[in-house]
Amino acid sequence: MKEDNIDLLKERFLQEIKEAKTAEERRKISKKYLDKELSAVFRTIKELSSERKGVLGRKANELKSFIAEHMEEVSAEEEESVDVTLPGKNVSVGRIHPLTQALQRCGEIFSGMGFSVVEGPEVEDEWHNFDALNFEHDHPSREMQDTLFLKQNKRESLSSSEKLLMRTHTSPVQIRYMLENKPPLRIVVPGRVFRNEATDSSHEINFYQLEGMMVGEDVSVANFRAVIGVFFQKFFGKDTRIRLRPSFFPFTEPSFEVDISCSNCSGKGCSVCKRTGWLEVMGAGMVHPNVLKNAGVDSDKYRGFAFGVGVDRLVMLRYKIDDIRLFYSADARFLKQF
Amino acid sequence: MIFSYNFLQSFFDEKLPEPQKLADLLIMHFFEVEGVEKVGKDTAIDIDILPSRAGDCLSHKGVAREISAITGMKLIFPQVKLKEKGDISKYVEVKADSACNRYTMRVIDNVKVGPSPAHIQEKLITCGLKPINNIVDITNYVMLETGQPLHAFDGEKVEGGKINVRYAKNREKMVTLDEKRHELDKDILVISDEVSSIGIAGIKGGVLPEVDENTKTIFLESANFDRQVIRRGARKLGLRTDASVRFEHGMSTVIAQEAVDRAASMIADIAGGEVVKGRVDIANKKEESVSISFTAQDVNNILGVDIPLTEIERILRSLDFKIKRNKSSFNVEAPLFRKDVVIKEDVIEEIGRIYGYENIEPKTPCAELISPKKSSSLALESCCLEEMKALGFTEAYNYTFINEETASFFEYKGLQEMEKPVSLDYKYLRPSLLPGVIKSVGENEKIVDKFSFFEIGKVFSGVKERKVIAGASFPSSFLEMKGVVNLFLERIGIKEVSYNPSSRNFLGACAEIKHGKEVVGIIGEVSSKTKKGMGIKSPVVVFELEMEKLKTVREDSVYNPINRFPGALRDISLLVPRETKYIEAEKKIKREGGSLLSEVSLFDLYEGEEIPEGMKSFAFRLLFQSNSRTLSSEEVNKIRDKIISSLDSVPEWKVRK
Repeated sequence: MKEDNIDLLKERFLQEIKEAKTAEERRKISKKYLDKELSAVFRTIKELSSERKGVLGRKANELKSFIAEHMEEVSAEEEESVDVTLPGKNVSVGRIHPLTQALQRCGEIFSGMGFSVVEGPEVEDEWHNFDALNFEHDHPSREMQDTLFLKQNKRESLSSSEKLLMRTHTSPVQIRYMLENKPPLRIVVPGRVFRNEATDSSHEINFYQLEGMMVGEDVSVANFRAVIGVFFQKFFGKDTRIRLRPSFFPFTEPSFEVDISCSNCSGKGCSVCKRTGWLEVMGAGMVHPNVLKNAGVDSDKYRGFAFGVGVDRLVMLRYKIDDIRLFYSADARFLKQF
Repeated sequence: MIFSYNFLQSFFDEKLPEPQKLADLLIMHFFEVEGVEKVGKDTAIDIDILPSRAGDCLSHKGVAREISAITGMKLIFPQVKLKEKGDISKYVEVKADSACNRYTMRVIDNVKVGPSPAHIQEKLITCGLKPINNIVDITNYVMLETGQPLHAFDGEKVEGGKINVRYAKNREKMVTLDEKRHELDKDILVISDEVSSIGIAGIKGGVLPEVDENTKTIFLESANFDRQVIRRGARKLGLRTDASVRFEHGMSTVIAQEAVDRAASMIADIAGGEVVKGRVDIANKKEESVSISFTAQDVNNILGVDIPLTEIERILRSLDFKIKRNKSSFNVEAPLFRKDVVIKEDVIEEIGRIYGYENIEPKTPCAELISPKKSSSLALESCCLEEMKALGFTEAYNYTFINEETASFFEYKGLQEMEKPVSLDYKYLRPSLLPGVIKSVGENEKIVDKFSFFEIGKVFSGVKERKVIAGASFPSSFLEMKGVVNLFLERIGIKEVSYNPSSRNFLGACAEIKHGKEVVGIIGEVSSKTKKGMGIKSPVVVFELEMEKLKTVREDSVYNPINRFPGALRDISLLVPRETKYIEAEKKIKREGGSLLSEVSLFDLYEGEEIPEGMKSFAFRLLFQSNSRTLSSEEVNKIRDKIISSLDSVPEWKVRK
């Protein structure tokens, strides 16, 4: 055996590789040379004198690593040849309802400012829902076309604390909380509320509210502006501006509507904000002294602000959702997007 | 209400801000403006006057007063000068029930009925009213100006010259000006003459004494009626008029007299009549002003801004408040037409809104650094949301109510019913989330191949509510869902639950989930009958768990040090009759295995060929491990043999060798 034989073997190998068309073929060729051709060479070398063995052995080993290296290259080439544009395999994860996400976010923002998150019952009595909140006895929202009452025996003869209804707002929780806790107080109340009205793309029989209240010895409208400003900037973005407009609610005095600069056009005016640049999103005010009294709080010593915001509407604005009923449809195509 | 820009301008010598600018000012200091629209040479401004101010601001004068307060522009109200002649008592005599708070009347004789001047007609049109004739137009004009509804009768048609404000008789009939027949009853207040009723008090005039082109004598009524009586009457008759709306909100009686004089003088000027000397005035209700005290400090405390004393004074004066001030202490009286101002907070609201809420700089509150509380129920809920999501379940919401069809399909009895819901879909409070969840499966099956979802919400037993979590998955199997529920419970801190065979009418395979003796929930495969009824095809498994119960049995998670001693595995294959429950075999193995048997798992369940008829085979893998030493092979085998002989001792059971 001569050195030439090994050189020839290498040339033959390179020639075959050159002619091969696919990585698969090149892999087969390399394997054939390693397993068969080279093994034969090594078997022959074994028989030779020690001097020849050294020279040829080294040469054969060099060829062996040369082919092995080539095989690694082939493997790398094969790895890269996966069609990366093929669709990935389907995997699935769960999602949280967009309203829950919003309520959690609201809770986090207010917790950061020291507000406790508390809850109240969905079935409420008329006293907590209306009387204690300073609603007049003949206030129109006490009527059945606005409020969902529970069917009760001899309802007419029941007192207002016995008459049951589906709460029309989260505000009765203000009363419940104040009756059980002493000021200073800072709470937010997320929850489902109800109206007895026909449903359409912007009205639902049940929807969500976030109520908030801060009561202390030194709480003012200026404080409300600061707290609510932080809330909306965290919820809608730091460029969000707010404004307060006069309004009327039985349970606050003074009362305001809170507008935020339109989240769609940043206040320039568009169809979402009816070209005004502002969106009405929240009712608020300073807690009416009668409400404090009804909840056992000394209204000479304490005062505070309270607000209520429709969470469905916030989420509809945030994602440009045009139909409130989607929230209550349990439709996978809707829910999977959040 | 729609306001005329030109009408508002008539109260000022100075030029008002442009309509849109004026609207912006009103929005920020008064009430929402719903629209600004050109009408001929005028502009209509639609202001949403809330009920609290309906008593004085459903009027141009009221809004003009607001504009004056906001802008500081000087307000000029028209002066009323009357030239009177004759004696009113020769024309009319009036009696009024106490439900009539005040009744004032003027008589204008020798009028000439014809069209009203253009400037009056234009303003009426802007405000959405139709011009009729000078007399009716003037009554409407003065209502728009002062807020006081007025009514003009043809004096010659009022039988006997006698007017009585009384309740109607049952089944008394009357035809109103719009030629509609109404049947009245004893709850409805009417204006009547000697013979019959001639108008429904505070709601609508009757056709009998209608003013026409031949009318010479006008009886001009400007009255004030009890709001409850008007509200009840208007609702009974299904009538809602400009007049009834104003009375229902409660107006001050002081405006009645001012309005009747104003209208009489306009009629004399425009329709050429003579105002008869004297005025009928029956005042059944006295109004008194309330005096309210506050200090500048109170204003600062509530609004959080220092408003100069002079500015406080200017604002309140411009709104017609009477003020006494001693340094920074105020004692004020609101005008009688401001029934909404009763306590100092009401006054401070007036100061705040005119001063401008946008002029109040935000101030971060000073409060104790108290760490916010989160109830254990909300903490559990957040935890449930997180774990369900991690298990691949998506959160969905359903309605709080179910209809009759669903209630009877699921055979619910004694559900809490709602009183007159707007739709029968909301007839009952839901007793469980499962009907909604199963219905959602049906709807989703049409749009996606598979879906796992859950809901957390309130359910009701009678009027009692409680929070539950329910879930569904399709296509799924009982054991798959059991695995989900098990892991879910473990993740929220509930270990060692058991599953006891149970049944529900809408479920097939079904188990109650128990923690100790307490049933905490239920899991089951929806029966094929239910699926058929709901139009569902895939296998569906559902669960429902009681949040209150989960909350009480939750435990904090505990860390167990990693066991560094090697464990030994042994497999046992056991033949049992097909109806034998797995749990019986597992219990036996665990009891015999003792403390060194640290884990039992089932790695195969087999029925069929090679297995005797009516039998099945469980393949258990047992892990033996100690946390203090390495177990010897002999020791492990000894326990295994003990287990095997115990299993073998049960008749009909056989350990396969």
